[in-house]
Amino acid sequence: MSTALIRNPLVLAFLSILVILAAGEIISPGFARGDQISKLLTVSAILGIVAAGQCLVVIGGREGIDLSVGVMISLGAVLAGNVMSGSNGAIAPAFLVAGGATFLIGIVNGLGVTFLRIPPLVMTLGMTGVVQGGLTVITRGIPSGNAAPALMSFVNEPLFLGLPGILFIWALIGVLMWFLLRRTDLGYAIYAMGSNERAATLVGVPVRFIRVLLYGLSGLFAGITGVLVIGYTGNSFVSVGDQYMLLSIIAVVIGGVSLNGGTGNYFGVMLGAIALTLLQSVLTTLQLESWGRQLTFGVVLVLLMLLYGRSKRQRV
Amino acid sequence: MSPLLRFMTSRTWLVALAALLVLVAINWYLQPNLMTPRVVRSNLSVFLPVALVAIGQTYVILAGDIDLSVGAIVSLVNVIVVSLIASFGGDVPGILGAMAIGVGVGIACGLVNGFLVAVLRLQSIVSTFATGIVFGALALLVMPTAGGSVPSVYWRSYGGTLGGVPVIYWIYGVSLLMVAFIAARPFFKHLAAVGGHRAASFQTGLPTTRIRIGAYALCGLFSAFAALCLTGETASGDPLLGQALALSSILAVVVGGTALAGGRGSAFGSILGAIVVGTISNVVFFARPPFEYQTLIEGAITLAALAGGVLVARGRRTQ
Amino acid sequence: MAPLLDVAGVAKRFGAVTALSDGALRVGTGEIHALLGANGSGKSTLCKIIAGAVARDAGVLQLHGADAVLKHPRDAERLGVGLFYQELSLVPQLTVADNIFLGHERTAPLGFLSARRKRADVTALISRFAPVLGDGFSPDVPVARLAADQRQIVEILKVLSRKPKLIIFDEATAALDRRQVAIFFDVLRELRAEGVSSIFISHRMDEIFAVSDRITVMRNGVTVASFATADTDQDAVVHAMVGDAPLRERIEHPRPANAAPARITLTSGTSRRLHGVSLSVGAGEILGLGGLQGQGQSVLLQGLFGAAPFTNGTIAIDGKPVPVRSPAAAVRHGVAYVSGDRGRDAALQGRSIFENIANATLVREKRRVFWPRQLKPRFEEALKQLNTKYASLDAPIGSLSGGNQQKVFIARWLATGAKVLLLDDPAKGVDLGAKADFFSLARGLAAEGAGIVFYASDDAELLSVCDRILVFNSGRITAELTGSTLTSFHLTKAAYGEAA
Repeated sequence: MSTALIRNPLVLAFLSILVILAAGEIISPGFARGDQISKLLTVSAILGIVAAGQCLVVIGGREGIDLSVGVMISLGAVLAGNVMSGSNGAIAPAFLVAGGATFLIGIVNGLGVTFLRIPPLVMTLGMTGVVQGGLTVITRGIPSGNAAPALMSFVNEPLFLGLPGILFIWALIGVLMWFLLRRTDLGYAIYAMGSNERAATLVGVPVRFIRVLLYGLSGLFAGITGVLVIGYTGNSFVSVGDQYMLLSIIAVVIGGVSLNGGTGNYFGVMLGAIALTLLQSVLTTLQLESWGRQLTFGVVLVLLMLLYGRSKRQRV
Repeated sequence: MSPLLRFMTSRTWLVALAALLVLVAINWYLQPNLMTPRVVRSNLSVFLPVALVAIGQTYVILAGDIDLSVGAIVSLVNVIVVSLIASFGGDVPGILGAMAIGVGVGIACGLVNGFLVAVLRLQSIVSTFATGIVFGALALLVMPTAGGSVPSVYWRSYGGTLGGVPVIYWIYGVSLLMVAFIAARPFFKHLAAVGGHRAASFQTGLPTTRIRIGAYALCGLFSAFAALCLTGETASGDPLLGQALALSSILAVVVGGTALAGGRGSAFGSILGAIVVGTISNVVFFARPPFEYQTLIEGAITLAALAGGVLVARGRRTQ
Repeated sequence: MAPLLDVAGVAKRFGAVTALSDGALRVGTGEIHALLGANGSGKSTLCKIIAGAVARDAGVLQLHGADAVLKHPRDAERLGVGLFYQELSLVPQLTVADNIFLGHERTAPLGFLSARRKRADVTALISRFAPVLGDGFSPDVPVARLAADQRQIVEILKVLSRKPKLIIFDEATAALDRRQVAIFFDVLRELRAEGVSSIFISHRMDEIFAVSDRITVMRNGVTVASFATADTDQDAVVHAMVGDAPLRERIEHPRPANAAPARITLTSGTSRRLHGVSLSVGAGEILGLGGLQGQGQSVLLQGLFGAAPFTNGTIAIDGKPVPVRSPAAAVRHGVAYVSGDRGRDAALQGRSIFENIANATLVREKRRVFWPRQLKPRFEEALKQLNTKYASLDAPIGSLSGGNQQKVFIARWLATGAKVLLLDDPAKGVDLGAKADFFSLARGLAAEGAGIVFYASDDAELLSVCDRILVFNSGRITAELTGSTLTSFHLTKAAYGEAA
């Protein structure tokens, strides 16, 4: 029982968060202070929102993965920055343009994966190069555009209960993801096709349509994240999203979603995003040299995977 | 099936070769001095590290896994070799000793990956990403910032000739021999079998775990070779040297006609794939499109090449 | 002289299920030995124990007169035992020749692969079967491109290439046609002359009598009889297989006579392995599909369900022609499909029982949003109708036994209120109690007006449940059995109609 509990990804991620927080507080008193935590949660929210799309794609199975989220975040940030140009009135169009563009790119990913049967890793890796090129076309290599002040304060300044608005958005996304996955036919179909695609087809699930949609949603979430990223930093640069590509996958995995598909939920991924952000922050606070930080990060990842990342069955 | 079709479908690299010929023709048209010995040599020496890593990556992918840590292995071997040469005093026996140790480190990294993936059964994407972080950390430990230098005898030899033939051509030649050697061993069939259908291979009595570890060890070995070449190219140490190599090696493997799901493909195709990917950026560069469109065009052509590689590797299938 | 293989008192349990309680088998050198028994009698478990793929719990196993320790298939292989696997051991991407020699590659000096030796050896192996290999078979073609019978031949050649002293053929002829079987038997006889022994499992009685020297019969995990083939006849063997249990009487089910249009009608359904099949199932009727395995029955059911659409032919449901190009379309028209291959076609592993049931209902009723408590009572009711044993709807599907899992996959369709049930060997590999539950449910559903099409690989199931049986051979209907012709005799005769 106790081992079953500790192997529950949700419990594990939550425990990790507590341990890391305690460690941070011991190392550097004030680490777990309210405003610090609110700051860390903001960073977690950005990672958590892009990981929402990644998590859908992974749950949907057939080796689902989206390596293009990083550049799509950059694209979203650049597009949003140009649309807003510092004007509060253009925040909504910024979300529309950024989310719309990345949604369409995601759909193209989905079409390639579903109809040409290109492995997701290859398709989204190839798409990364294309989007990168698109970014150069848009920016001509020179960063341009900046965030609307209202967006920046929404992301960075306390809005309600001392927490910035972005956290409420994240919480709302959490509820919507739960509703989608647990209370709609689409959510049940996603788990079904991730667990056994043939069985899902044989109960009438429109597997191909849904798979295309999942990649579209992953793009959409990345685009939204891009807008929030420019809200966080104020202005964009071409590689602003790069770091999120692998981080989003790790957040999904330590959140308890198996890369084999068909398992896991978004709450775990949210905790995974928080744990990951905290871990990085503690490692920074430790004032370790960069090798020590990186080594600890890598070793912790391997340990987490050892605890519950084992593939249950050999691939047959 | 006609003999010609049979010949073609059993050699998935033929399409990569055809693509290469077309690209070279276009490149030659755009860059009239392409076929002068100097330009050929400089192009091939740019493609060499990716080609070497891609060879190693092929064996891992053929066995149904993937290795995202190759870039970090290259960095680690590079800084270790540069540091060791310095501490051994920079004479020729010292250089050779450092190179041997570097190769050993590459193999050891591969064995660690193989242990995690094949023995502990961790998912290969995430676990090799994690070991990549660890190897990268070790590289930073050995050499926190880029620097150091290797004695001139090292980079002069690498850039020089041997028996009138440039050394990098010798390296290509030896690599091709190694690729041919491995392809002529039963081990190669076992790799493809394990990647094609692991349960069937186990039923047949193949030691699947040992085979997968072997693939990772080979990948570490070829990554170490790539590191030695890059060391000759840059003549210094850099803990971030290999960063882009993981993804570009996968690109080269897929373009070369190896199925990402495992079971079908060849390391020879991956060498061609590396050259194709490199030639694509040359062509785009010399076609002189508006500057800002270069990456987009390159990305689109690469995506098309990837899709082509996948479709070829899958082949025609009844049933 | 000690026999080549001597097995006695072997037992094996899988969890709570006793697969084998007293297995015994004695095979002499140079002998073709047939092993018979109904499904679940323990034949396959016994064979896997002999081949080292499964470890025995108790009993004696001697090979060449000495106790054998078999921890891994490799141990058995070293002692000269070869096991024919039904599909599992071929790698689709590798060529025929590479598959045959996998793990035993033909090499030149220094351990290099020798294309010349490979070609010579594979040509010699294949030559025996040359006349019956069919289109597109060559040593250089990937196995993925072969048809089922060709793969089976590759699997046979792979076992033979290892030159074992004892070969176990578990259903090695299932996908082969008559000419291929004849050659296979010639090969077995040649091997016998060289002193190689075979254990041969088949469901075709005529094959067994044609080729075997001895017959051993198993029933319920126990070896019950052993005969010299020359001294016995089919009746005696069948009697041993069936035991003294009285044959269950068929219960006549008067069909409600009504003029309503048929539940489902197919007119000249044609696909790659089906040639112009027409049929019609009325409300309240259970239509059986008989014949040997793989004669088009499953293809037909998958065609009716839209999972493998017909290239030609029309489907009408309740008298109205409807296009059924996908399972989704079939489900929305009230058609349900239950496969016998649960793991591949039905189980959503890692998900709850509730989820395993819910998807079909959501598709059928086009529910976009729902609350589980709206659906739970319905699902519980459906599971109860089948006497399903489960802890809670939230328990994972993997926590149930095979039979209870299959009940969940049937309940998934009961909950949708499907009016046409397509049952594709649904009771394959489930225990007798669960079988009885399925069949009484099928009768009950028919009585309520459902139309049921039922394929079973077990003739006894067909005969005890169906109102009418269409017998298939090579993608065509060869006979229709009703009333007084619904007997084992007629069914067997029609099944072998053209093949025997």
